[in-house]
Amino acid sequence: MSAEIAGAQVRGAALATELLSAGYQGRPVVQELSIRVDPGEVVSVVGPNGSGKSTLLKALIGVVQVLGGRVLWEGREVTNWSPDAAARAGVGYVPQVDDVFAPLTVKENLEMGGYLLPVREVPGRITHVLDVFPQLSRMLSRRAGRLSGGERKMLAMGRVLMLQPRAFVLDEPTANLAPALANMVLEDHIRQLSATGASVLIVEQRARAVLAISDRTYVMAGGRCQLEGTPAELIASPDFAETFLGGARRPAAPTGD
Amino acid sequence: MSLFLASVGFGLVTASVLAIAAVGFSVQFGVTDVINLAYGSVMIASAYVAYFVNQLGPGVSIWLAMLVAAVLGALLSLVINKYVYAPFQRRGMAPIGIVIVSLGMLLIIEYTIQAVQGTGNLSYTMSQGPTLTFAGLILSGVQLAIIGLSVVFMVGLHLLLRYTRFGKAMRATAADRTLARNCGIRTDRVVTLACLLTGALCGISGTTFAINLGSFGATSADLFLVMILAAVFLGGPGQPYGAMLGALVIGVITEVSAVFITADYKYVPAFVILLVILAVRPRGIFNAGAIG
Amino acid sequence: MSQATLFYLANLLTYGAVDVIACLGLSMQFGVAGISNFGYILFQAAGAYTAAILALPPDTANGGFQKYIGGWGLPFPVPLIGAAVVGGLIALPFTLLVGRRLTGHVAAIGLLVTAVMFNLLVTNFVPLFNGAAGLSLVPQPLQNVFNPQSQTYQWVYGAGAALLALGTYFLFRRITESPYGRSLRAMRDNGQVADSLGKDLLSMRTAMLVLGGMAAGLSGGVLVGFITLWDPGAWGYAETIVLFAAVIIGGSGNHKGAVLGALLVPLGFEEASRFIPSSLGPPGMIPALQWVAIGLLIVGFLWFRPQGVIPEPRRKVFAWAQGRLAGPRDGVAGPVTSPAMSPPAGEAATPRGGAILSTEGVVVDFGGVKAVDGVSLSVQRGRLSGLIGPNGAGKSTLLAALAGSVRVAEGRIYFEGQDVTQMPTYLRARAGLVRTFQLASEFKRLTVVENLISAVPGQRGDTFRGSLRGRRYWGREELAAIERARELMERFGLIEYADTYAGNLSGGQRRLVEIMRALMAEPRLLLLDEPMAGIHPSLARKIGANLQQLCAEGMTILLVEHELAFMDEFCDPVTVLAEGRILAEGTMVELRRHAEVVEAYLVG
Repeated sequence: MSAEIAGAQVRGAALATELLSAGYQGRPVVQELSIRVDPGEVVSVVGPNGSGKSTLLKALIGVVQVLGGRVLWEGREVTNWSPDAAARAGVGYVPQVDDVFAPLTVKENLEMGGYLLPVREVPGRITHVLDVFPQLSRMLSRRAGRLSGGERKMLAMGRVLMLQPRAFVLDEPTANLAPALANMVLEDHIRQLSATGASVLIVEQRARAVLAISDRTYVMAGGRCQLEGTPAELIASPDFAETFLGGARRPAAPTGD
Repeated sequence: MSLFLASVGFGLVTASVLAIAAVGFSVQFGVTDVINLAYGSVMIASAYVAYFVNQLGPGVSIWLAMLVAAVLGALLSLVINKYVYAPFQRRGMAPIGIVIVSLGMLLIIEYTIQAVQGTGNLSYTMSQGPTLTFAGLILSGVQLAIIGLSVVFMVGLHLLLRYTRFGKAMRATAADRTLARNCGIRTDRVVTLACLLTGALCGISGTTFAINLGSFGATSADLFLVMILAAVFLGGPGQPYGAMLGALVIGVITEVSAVFITADYKYVPAFVILLVILAVRPRGIFNAGAIG
Repeated sequence: MSQATLFYLANLLTYGAVDVIACLGLSMQFGVAGISNFGYILFQAAGAYTAAILALPPDTANGGFQKYIGGWGLPFPVPLIGAAVVGGLIALPFTLLVGRRLTGHVAAIGLLVTAVMFNLLVTNFVPLFNGAAGLSLVPQPLQNVFNPQSQTYQWVYGAGAALLALGTYFLFRRITESPYGRSLRAMRDNGQVADSLGKDLLSMRTAMLVLGGMAAGLSGGVLVGFITLWDPGAWGYAETIVLFAAVIIGGSGNHKGAVLGALLVPLGFEEASRFIPSSLGPPGMIPALQWVAIGLLIVGFLWFRPQGVIPEPRRKVFAWAQGRLAGPRDGVAGPVTSPAMSPPAGEAATPRGGAILSTEGVVVDFGGVKAVDGVSLSVQRGRLSGLIGPNGAGKSTLLAALAGSVRVAEGRIYFEGQDVTQMPTYLRARAGLVRTFQLASEFKRLTVVENLISAVPGQRGDTFRGSLRGRRYWGREELAAIERARELMERFGLIEYADTYAGNLSGGQRRLVEIMRALMAEPRLLLLDEPMAGIHPSLARKIGANLQQLCAEGMTILLVEHELAFMDEFCDPVTVLAEGRILAEGTMVELRRHAEVVEAYLVG
C-alpha cells in the first residue's frame, strides 16, 4: 500500500493508525494494523486474549514503542509521542489496571485529572464531570482505594473527562467487573462519554456487549485485524465467533495483555 | 512522679525533633523509593552549616542559621537523589543495592565533615530562654520553641499535602508515577521539588537535633537514624501521618525509658519495637494501606 | 631488613588473615547466597569476646580491674573453637529476621539495627562486658610455652592465621562449587523460583548465616588472641560497611575476589595510612578521609564496575563434563543412561488413569476479590490437560494455588491422594508438583546447563553435608545430570548456549530454559503457565509434541495457554475458567459447541 493511498484512508479521521507495528523489546505484537476513528464515533476493538488489543492502545498513546507505521491525531503525525503529550493534545487514556490514585480521595483524583487546567477552571470542570457521573458526587471525600470496581472505573473515566478530551481511549474498562456491572459501565458510562461529542476507541473482551454500543468494530487476532465492520455485519458473519475460539494465527511475541 | 513528668517533657521535645526528621524521611521514600540511610548524615551536615552561620558574629541567631541549614539540606538531598540514587535506579539496581549505595553516601558525608572539623564536639551560641513550668512539665524556652516549630511544620505539611496543587501532585506521584504522567503531571519536577522540601525538613531537623543535644559531632546522628527508621517503619514507610504518630510514640518511649531503665539504654526499646515491626508487619502498624 | 620491619610484616600477616577470613564469610552470605547481613560485624565481636573469656583467668585475677563472665583460663585451641561456635550460634536468632517472610532490604535494615543495638548494649553493660573499656590482658595461645614477644612467635602466629584463612577459602570454595552452592546462587538470583523447584530457602539461609557467623567469630578469635584486647568500640556498624566494600570491590560471588578485597580494603587502608604523616591536617583528618575513600569506592565501584576487580567466573560446567566424557572412560562417568525425556523411575509402574491431583472448592481471596472462587477440579494422570479462559479469569492464580505460591482461603487440594493444602511450596515441588512462571524466571547468573541441573531433585551434593564431601562424592551424579540436560538442550536446540548465562538469552530462549528446567525436576505433575508466549509457532508445535510424548510416558501436565490453536492440537481435556469458576470441561471440539463457553469468550 502506498503512502498516498494510506493518507487518503485516514483523511478526516480523529484518531488513526497506518500499518502500525508495535511491541516490546523490538518484537512486534501488533502487526501492520490500520484503524481509524472518526469524530464522534464509538469504535471498538475486540479479540481473544493475547491478540494485541492492549498493545495497540498503548502504542497509540505512547506507552509502548511503535516499531513501524504511523499514529495520526487530527491529521497530524504523533507516532511515539508521550502519554502526557497525548493528554495535553486532547486524548484521554484510561488504562486497564492502575487507573486511579488509590490513596487520594475521589475529589483529589478528579483534580489530578484536571492538573493541566488553569486552577480557576477546575471546580467548574468537576461540577461538569459530576453531571455526567452523578453517582460520584456522593463519594467525593472517599479514598479511591476504597471504591468498588464499578465506582473505581467510573472515577477513572471521570478523571479523564476533566480535560474535556476530544477522544477517549479505554483499555478493557470492564475487566474484573461482575457481568451486570460490566454492562452498566458499557451501556451507561460509555454512552455518557460519547454524549460529550468525543470519539471513543474502546478495547474489550466482552465482544457481544461492546458491539451493542459500537458504531464500528475491528476484530483482532494474532496481532492483526481479522475482520472489520458494523456490529450487525459482524454478528451475521460466520467467522466472528470462530476468531475467538481458535483458528487464528498465533502471535509472534509475548503480549501486554 | 515529677521525674516521670520531666521525662515526658523531654520525650515531647525529642518526639518533635524526630517528627520533623521522620516525616521528611518518609515522604522522601514515598516519592523516590529510596531508603536513604545517608539521611542522618545530611542532618548533621546541615547542623554544621548552621553552626558556621551561628558563629559568623555574636548577633547571628541560631534560628536564622537554621534557615541556611534548611537550604543546604534541601540542595544536598536533591544532589544525592538526582545524581546518585536516581541514576542507579534507572539502571535497574535492586533496592538492596541502593541501600548499600546510601551507606556509602553516609560514610562520604559524615567523614568529610569529620575531616574538616575533627572529632571534637561543637555547640551553638544561644540562650536557653526562660524556664517554664506547665502542668508539671518543666521546659526551657528553646525546648518549647522546638515543640512549637515541629507543630507548625506538621500542620504546614498537612495543609500542603491536602490542600495545594503541588502537595496533591506529590501524593499522586508517590502513589503511581506512570498514571501521574498520564495526567500531565511533570513528575520529574515534582520529584525534584519533593527532594528539596524533604531535604529542607532534614536540614531543620538536623539543627533542632543539635540544639536539643547541646553539643554534637560528625557521627552524632548515627543512633538517631535508627530512631528515625523506627518511627518511619512504625507508621508505614511513605506515610507522613504514620511517621508523625510513630515519632511521638518512639520519642516519648525513648525519654521515659531513660528514667525507668538507664540513660545508657534509652534507645533500646525503640530498637526492639523496630525489630518486632520488621519481623511481624514490615508495612507498618499505623499503615492504612497507602499515603493518606 | 630491620627487626622493626620484620615485626611489622609478621603483624601484617596476621591482620591480613583475620580480614580474609571475615571477608570470606561475608562473601559466602552476600555474594553467593544473596543475604545482605548488615549486622555481620556483630558476629566477629561475639567470637572475639568468647575467645577472650575462654582464655582469660577468672575476673578476680589481676586485682579484679575488669569484669566479665566466665574466665575459664582454657588452653589453646579451645578459645578459637569457642569463638567460631558462638559466632555460628548467635546467628540462629537472626534467622527469625531473614527467614522465609522477611527478605531483601527490609531484612538488611533489621540486621543493621540489631548490630547497632547490641553494640550499644555491650558498650554500656559493665557486669558482662566491662562496658566501653572492653577487656585487656587476654592470654595469647601457648604463651606459657613460648615467648609471645619473640619474633618467631609472631611469625608462627601469622602463619597459623594464614593457614586458617587458606582452609576457610578452600572449604568455602568447595561448598560454592558444589550442587548446594549452585542452589545458593539460584536462591540469590530468584528466591521464589528456587522455592518452586524444591529448594528449602529457610534451611539454606540459616546454614549460610551460621557458616558466615562462624567465619566471623573465628576471625574475631584470631584477632583477640593476637592483640590481647577486646574493644567494643572497634566493632561499630561502619566496620561492616568496610567488609561490604571489600567484597564489592574484590568481586562478589567469588571467593578470590573476597580475598583480594580483604587485602585491598581493610588491610590496605589500615597500612597505607601509616605512611601518611599524621601532622597533615587537623587531628583525625587522615582516618576520616579513609572512611570517605571507602564510601567513594563503594559508590564508584557499584557504578563503574559492579562485578568487582575479579568478577564471578562463569562456570563452564558443560565444557567440563564434555571433557570428562571425552576422556578415557575410567568408569567414573560410566555409560550414562539418560532418562531426560522419560518419566521418573517407578512412575511407569503406577497405574494410568485416575486423578493425580484434585481440588475441592478452592477459593483464593485477594483482599475481598475472589480471584479463584470455589474451583473443584481433577487432573487425570498421564494426560496433557489445558486450562483456558478470558483475561482475569483466575487461571494463573489457580496454578499458583496448586503449587502453593498463594494462600488458599477455603477448600482443599489433594496431590497423589495426600492433602497438600497447607504444604509449603518447596515440599510440594519435592513431592513432584512443579510449576513454571508466566514472567521470565530463569536464574540469570547461572548458565543454561546450570539452570537445568539445578532442578534435579535429591542430588547428593545438594545438601550442606553432601557439598562438604566434595566432587568425588557427587561428581558422577553431576555428569549424569548434565548428560540428561544435554539431551534436552539438543532436543530444544539450545545446546550451543549450554555454557551461556541464561540472563543473556533472548526472551523465547529463556522460556525454553524454564520449560527444560521444569522437566529436569522430574515432576509427576507439571504446571505450565503460558509456556508458549514468545516462542515461534513452529517451535511451539514441536514442544507440544514433546509434551504429549512425555504424557504418553507417564507424566501429567496441566497447561495454561491463551493460544487456542495449541489447545486444539495437543490438550485433552480442556477446562474453561471464567470469573474464578469452572465453566465447562471437554475437548476443544466439544467446548466449541458449548454455547456457554462461546458466550464466556464473547461476553468476558
